[in-house]
Amino acid sequence: MSSGRPGRLSDLPPLRGMLPLLVLLGTWQIFGPERSAYFPRPDTWWSALAAASHAGRLGPALIATLATFGISLCVACMAGAALGLLLGRVPAARRALDPLLEFCRGLPPPVIVPVAVLLLGYAQGLKLLVVVWVGVWPILLNVAAAAGAVEPLLLDVARTFHFGRGATLAKIVLPAVLPAFLLGVRIALPLSIIVTLLVEMVTMLPGIGSLIVSAQREYRSAEVYGLLGLIGVIGFCLNSVFVLIEGTILRRFPPLAHKSG
Amino acid sequence: MRARRVNVPGLVVIAGLAAVWEMAVRSGAIEFDYLPAPSAIVGGGWALIASGDLFVEAAHTLYAVWLGWMLAVAIGSGLGLLLGLSSAARTYLQASLELLRPLPAIAFLPVALLIFNFSLTTELVVIVYAATWPVFMNTMGGVMAVASRLHDVARTLRLTRAQAVANIVLPAALPAIVVGCRLSLGLSLVMAIIAEMLGNPHGLGHAIMSELQAMQPERMFAYVIIVGILAIVLNAGLRRVGAYLLRGHPPEVAEHV
Amino acid sequence: MRGHGRGSENVFECRGLGLEIPHRGTTRTIVKDLSLDVRRGEFFSIVGASGTGKTSLVRLLGGLMRATCGSLVCHGVTVDGPPPDVVVVFQDYSRALLQWRCVAANVALGLEGRVSAGETERRVTEALQLVGLDGHGRDYPWQLSGGMQQRVQIARALALRPQVLLMDEPFAALDAMTKASLQDEMLRIHDRTGASFVFITHDIEEAIYLGDRVAVLGGPPGQIYTTVPIDLPRPREQVATRQMPTFLAYRAQIHAAIGDARSG
Repeated sequence: MSSGRPGRLSDLPPLRGMLPLLVLLGTWQIFGPERSAYFPRPDTWWSALAAASHAGRLGPALIATLATFGISLCVACMAGAALGLLLGRVPAARRALDPLLEFCRGLPPPVIVPVAVLLLGYAQGLKLLVVVWVGVWPILLNVAAAAGAVEPLLLDVARTFHFGRGATLAKIVLPAVLPAFLLGVRIALPLSIIVTLLVEMVTMLPGIGSLIVSAQREYRSAEVYGLLGLIGVIGFCLNSVFVLIEGTILRRFPPLAHKSG
Repeated sequence: MRARRVNVPGLVVIAGLAAVWEMAVRSGAIEFDYLPAPSAIVGGGWALIASGDLFVEAAHTLYAVWLGWMLAVAIGSGLGLLLGLSSAARTYLQASLELLRPLPAIAFLPVALLIFNFSLTTELVVIVYAATWPVFMNTMGGVMAVASRLHDVARTLRLTRAQAVANIVLPAALPAIVVGCRLSLGLSLVMAIIAEMLGNPHGLGHAIMSELQAMQPERMFAYVIIVGILAIVLNAGLRRVGAYLLRGHPPEVAEHV
Repeated sequence: MRGHGRGSENVFECRGLGLEIPHRGTTRTIVKDLSLDVRRGEFFSIVGASGTGKTSLVRLLGGLMRATCGSLVCHGVTVDGPPPDVVVVFQDYSRALLQWRCVAANVALGLEGRVSAGETERRVTEALQLVGLDGHGRDYPWQLSGGMQQRVQIARALALRPQVLLMDEPFAALDAMTKASLQDEMLRIHDRTGASFVFITHDIEEAIYLGDRVAVLGGPPGQIYTTVPIDLPRPREQVATRQMPTFLAYRAQIHAAIGDARSG
């Protein structure tokens, strides 16, 4: 949405824009029914969450979800970067594997879950595997594309300076693919959150996803809305942290047009 | 259109993989109880077609996708146009939208289930919420990128606001809008499947889950592959449509759509 | 330690150099039967029109490409890969610099891991001073103008204290005034360091102004048509030297040679 460097405070939209959301919540709070199965008032959300926390449901679920998400994303980053680099430097392999990789990337994530369940059964490892699978493709494909497109002149410079393979990789290839890697992570991040929740919802393995489904099945509607808000907050925080990190890393790179969405 | 060279090594890899898979299952080398051989999957797929199940389920999913996508495109482009053209609208709406954007649409599914129960409406709510974002973001971005550049042109030619929007802004923003619609379509399919797996007991998503519970791996895998093919076909189809719509634009633009 | 082309040892010796590359089923001859010598300490200009294989010649001399026939010897050793003590300065400066590293880190690129940290810092400071960029060490290349970026590339080459600088049309992408000031800086650096320069350009006046000798590259396929010794006094001056009768005579001579090389 903003062009230039990502992650600057000046890019934040004006705070007045929060008005519609606040007005909506405020109206709901004032005019909403005291008890409702469908539209519980916002203040009930908070108390429902507190109750869930006291009952010992919320904490472990939150940890399970965040841990799955965090570990899976890290694994996806490492695997995607390593495989992407390997693939990018061998153009013949990339061409041969490209249709297969594009198919894997294009396979809708929800469909992976039943396949994994069938093959592996309901185990904690299932969660990690599925989220890693979904997150690795955007990173791998982005890194591979960038690794194959490293500026040839820079490779000539490396040869002129008698760099070995390791030095060329570390000083030239890795920094050159860094922006593409971050773009892949930017895509993989929300995807990983969604798929973590999805797996939990489908398999009812412990996590926020299964928590919200069981709340819905037992008509604890305030808790459902509360968890929805919680997920929103988590998503927002993770996104902001990523944007900050990305901005810091990319500060030394020439300003690129900042693509969003 | 560029001439398409057939990616022979690519095809070889896929065919080779299928062959290895077939042999591994037949010889019992792989220890997965429920991994069917490719030949069994084809058989399962054929059974689905013969019994008509495939068409029934696919029709439901496609109907939901179509409806949801149309709604998403309408809402998204309308909102995008509004915020793209009016800085006042941006000032008073953007922050709220930025807060909502990271909210995963899947989290709305339980809420929709609470209110609408197991129904098509639940499915549509989830699809529309998720699929609106790409269209909205891309439309707004496209319109804003154009408006600044060609604003002076419109003033020089003394066009009215409506004329400027219709004749300059929309055509110039069209590539971005088309990309947004294409992303939105893929997302609609994904959300439809999710909703059907958890919320609305019809369609391909639901079929996959029931085959899973019925322990019918061949049929389940057949459905999975069909969903994958559907995703590719929808994407490629919309690419073609996009290329046609953008046939007046320079080639670099049309190709990236 | 200044040489004006009377050194005893030849830096480069090419005999019958040829380069053929596959092109749409057949081969294309880029360079054919090219012979030249570059003497130690001299400023050797090579001038040629576009399409004569200038860039290929630089890549051959720089060891970035292997010739298909002929012999190429640098400091008495056959060239097989980039020769030691030879550094190439490329025309496209923005793509030849690491845009994500600051200027000082760019200049230090060739020294890392080879020379101690203290020595690296000394040489970087020295190189930046030589090209007139001291104080810009913390800037990033994309923050600098074209002329300054090219100077960063030259500083990077100089930090290695090379014996030979191979320059591939380094000032072609710059405006006339920046070009003039950089030409004079090259002459100063040549004077101070005593390194040998091989300077490739399409600009006849630039070749004469800078060089001790000017080789005329004709073709395609690329061949040295003739080599003209330049007997102009040093230090050279942008306005005064270019107006001298001998300068104009050289210009006419080389202009005619290029015309002959094209038709011949």
